[in-house]
This record gives sequence, C-alpha cells and structure tokens, in this order.
Amino acid sequence: MTSLNVIRWIVWKDFVTELRSRETISSMVFFALIVILIFSFSFSMDHQAAREVIAGIMWVAFAFTGIIGLGKSFSTELQNDCLEALQMVPEAKGAIYLGKVTANFAFMFVVEILLFPMFVILFNLEVVEEISLLLLVFFLATVGLSAIGTLFSALTVQIRAREVMLPILLLPLVLPVMIAAVEATKGALNGDPLAMYEQWLELLAVYDVVFTVVSFWMFEFVMDS
Amino acid sequence: MTIHRVIRKVQRFEGWFGGGALLCLIAGLYLGLIGSPPDYYQGEVVRIMYIHVPLAHTSLLGYTILAAGSLWYLWKRDPIVDNMCQAVAALSAVFTALALGTGMIWGKPTWDTWWTWDARLTSFTVLLLILIGYLMLRTFVDDPEKEARYGAILAIVGFVDLPIIHFSVEWWRTLHQPQSISMRGVSISSGLLVPLLFMSVGMSLLFSYMLMVRTQLLYLDRLLHAKKGRLLSQFHLSKSDS
Repeated sequence: MTSLNVIRWIVWKDFVTELRSRETISSMVFFALIVILIFSFSFSMDHQAAREVIAGIMWVAFAFTGIIGLGKSFSTELQNDCLEALQMVPEAKGAIYLGKVTANFAFMFVVEILLFPMFVILFNLEVVEEISLLLLVFFLATVGLSAIGTLFSALTVQIRAREVMLPILLLPLVLPVMIAAVEATKGALNGDPLAMYEQWLELLAVYDVVFTVVSFWMFEFVMDS
Repeated sequence: MTIHRVIRKVQRFEGWFGGGALLCLIAGLYLGLIGSPPDYYQGEVVRIMYIHVPLAHTSLLGYTILAAGSLWYLWKRDPIVDNMCQAVAALSAVFTALALGTGMIWGKPTWDTWWTWDARLTSFTVLLLILIGYLMLRTFVDDPEKEARYGAILAIVGFVDLPIIHFSVEWWRTLHQPQSISMRGVSISSGLLVPLLFMSVGMSLLFSYMLMVRTQLLYLDRLLHAKKGRLLSQFHLSKSDS
C-alpha cells in the first residue's frame, strides 16, 4: 500500500463514517447556529455596527465549531482501539496526518459554506461581488486551522481532560490565523480594494505552508509508540 | 561525550553561576537605583526598566532553550534533557509573568493605562499562555515518556509560531492604532546602559543557576521514583517467595 493509498483510505473512511452517523457536521452546524444566536443577542446591532463586528463573530463561530470537529476526528478512533491500528500502518505516519487533515478540512469547509448564508441572511450582508475572495479567505484560513488542529487533536486524544486541553493549546497558536482571517473577511465584506488586505492573505498562505510542514513532521513523533 | 555527562559536568559550577548572579544583580541594582540619573523624559519611572528588560530578554532566552532542548529530546530521547525542558518551561513562565507585571507597572505612569494591545505586550501574553499550556499538558499525561514527547512537540510548534504571532499582531496594531504610544525614537544613553548591562548579565546568570538547581531536582526525583518502583517490586517478589 503506497502512502497515497493510505491518504485516500483515511479520507474515504472518515467520509463514510460521517455519511452514516452524520455526527460531526450536524453537531458543528447546530453549535455554530447557537453561537450566532447568542452573539446577536449579546450585541444589539444596527446595519453599520454589524459590518464592524460581523467578521469577528463569524470567525469565533468557525473556530469554536472547528474545534468540535477536530476533537472528534481522533476521539472516534479510540473506539475499538482504532488508534492502535492506525499506529500499526506500515507506511509513513505523515500519510495518516495528510488524510486526517484533508478530512478535517473538508468537514470544516463544508460547515463554513453551510453557515455563511445564515450570516448573510441574519445580518443583512451584501456579498455578491466579493464571494470569490471570501471563499479564498475561508479556504486559506481553514487550511491553517485544520493543519495545526489535526496535530493537536492527535496529541490531546490520549491525555486526561482532552476536551479542555485541545482549545487551550490550539487557540493561542492559531492567533495569526484568526487575526488575518478576521481582517481579510472584514476587508472583503466592506468592499475595500484588494491591496488593502492583500497582506493578510499572504500571511495566511505563509502560515498554511509553515504549519503543514511542521505538523506533518511532528505528527511522526505524536504517533510513535 | 553524551549530553547527560555535559549537563552533569556543567552542574558542578552552579555555585559560580549563583555567586556571579548575586554580584551582578547587587552592582546592577546599586547603579540602577542610586548611581544613575533619572531619565530626561520618563523621570524616576525609567528605573523599573532595569528589571523589566532583563526579565523579558531572559524569558525569551528561556523559551529558546526550551525549544532547543525539545528538539534534542525528540532526537536522542535523553530523559535528563526532558528534566531540563520541564525546569526551563516553569522558570520561563515565571519570568514572562514578571516581565508582563513590571511592564504594566511601567505602563501606568508612562502610557496612563495598565494595559494596551501593543504588539510586544500581546505576543508576550501569548508566550505566557503557550508556556502555561505546556505545563498543563505535562500534568495531564500519565506516562512519563509520553509526557516528555508531547511537551517537546508543543514547545517546537510554539517556537515556530511565536515570530508569526508577533508579526501578525504588529500588523494588526499598526492598522488599528498607529504610533501613539510607540517606544521608537527613545534611544538609550550610556548612563542607563551600564546598569542595564549588569542587570541583564545578572538575570541570565540567576536564570541559569535556578535552571541547574531545578534540573538537578527533577533528575533526582525521577531517579527516586525509579528506585522506589524497583524496591517495591523486589519487596513484593520476596514476599511471594516466602
């Protein structure tokens, strides 16, 4: 079995599990809806104020739901000792990492795509022109979140208090993603010229590359036993 | 020569580090508090800088040692290096917290606010959060080998992340509130530099001294636990024999 096959099988396995149980995506979407609801109660917003804070609310919701998905990614492997089975895969452990990252990215991205219309409707946004740029921001930021999040999902799965430790370890480290995603989203939603927030897209791209490589390398050490 | 023996050898000189730290800190404190003039712009307030700047530098030095030690641990799996990593993380956390605290005390009269989302302040806060996360992570892992490995991974990822965090916060700052309370343009005169130098050297020596003592302590603690385990199993064996 080549490494490429390992990646493919892991992605396939996660997708099939998700299609059959519908656990991860439905809980993520539902949780995000509640977060949006609570935010819209917490700030009484007119149209102008909404434009200022909507990007922040959006990414807080995405990050929190992302953490739910990431936590599930490896905790489901604890059942029936699947984690040990994964550790016994003869190929390089990096292949498991890449498979998991792909699956996690797909789940998070799908949830974001599902939720975005909610934001548009609930907060009265006009996004027809900027939609492709926004998708690019979502894509880059979600790659960053899932690249480093998958590593920490694997790292925290076998320790005590893992539900608490995943966000505690992950959120400080993804601060650059959050800042860049919020600023770029705000720029796109306000219809600013691209040159004004280009730097944030570049930062996201750099972060993605750096932490895919570092996490790929470190995953080897998480899995060896 | 293995790293183990290097560390054991260096530890024989820990008294010199402690003594050197004491001398440097006494000289630095005298020069800083009594022997140097107050700053033209900041007045007497500037004197807390003699504590604050060395603390900040030393905690960054500590994190660098932590990352280097973690890389070494993942490579060679030498337990004493992990003892050092654990020791240096706790010390760095304390020094970072003190640097933040003294920075806030300095900021109140100078910027007229305890807290501002300044780039350096924010990245130091994140540094503190990562260090506390590191220490928490270690307490939540039962197996010592796993504890060391997981800690090392977090330390390395955090070390790669810190410059990116700093840059992103700096960009974010210049976007939202440009320059009003920047420290740029304030150059240091030589009268202030000499005590600062003494304090920096003294603080680094103090940090190294405490690091050595704490590494030694954790090392002995591990040996003790191993010995206790062996004795207990022997005790059980001899009991089952009789």
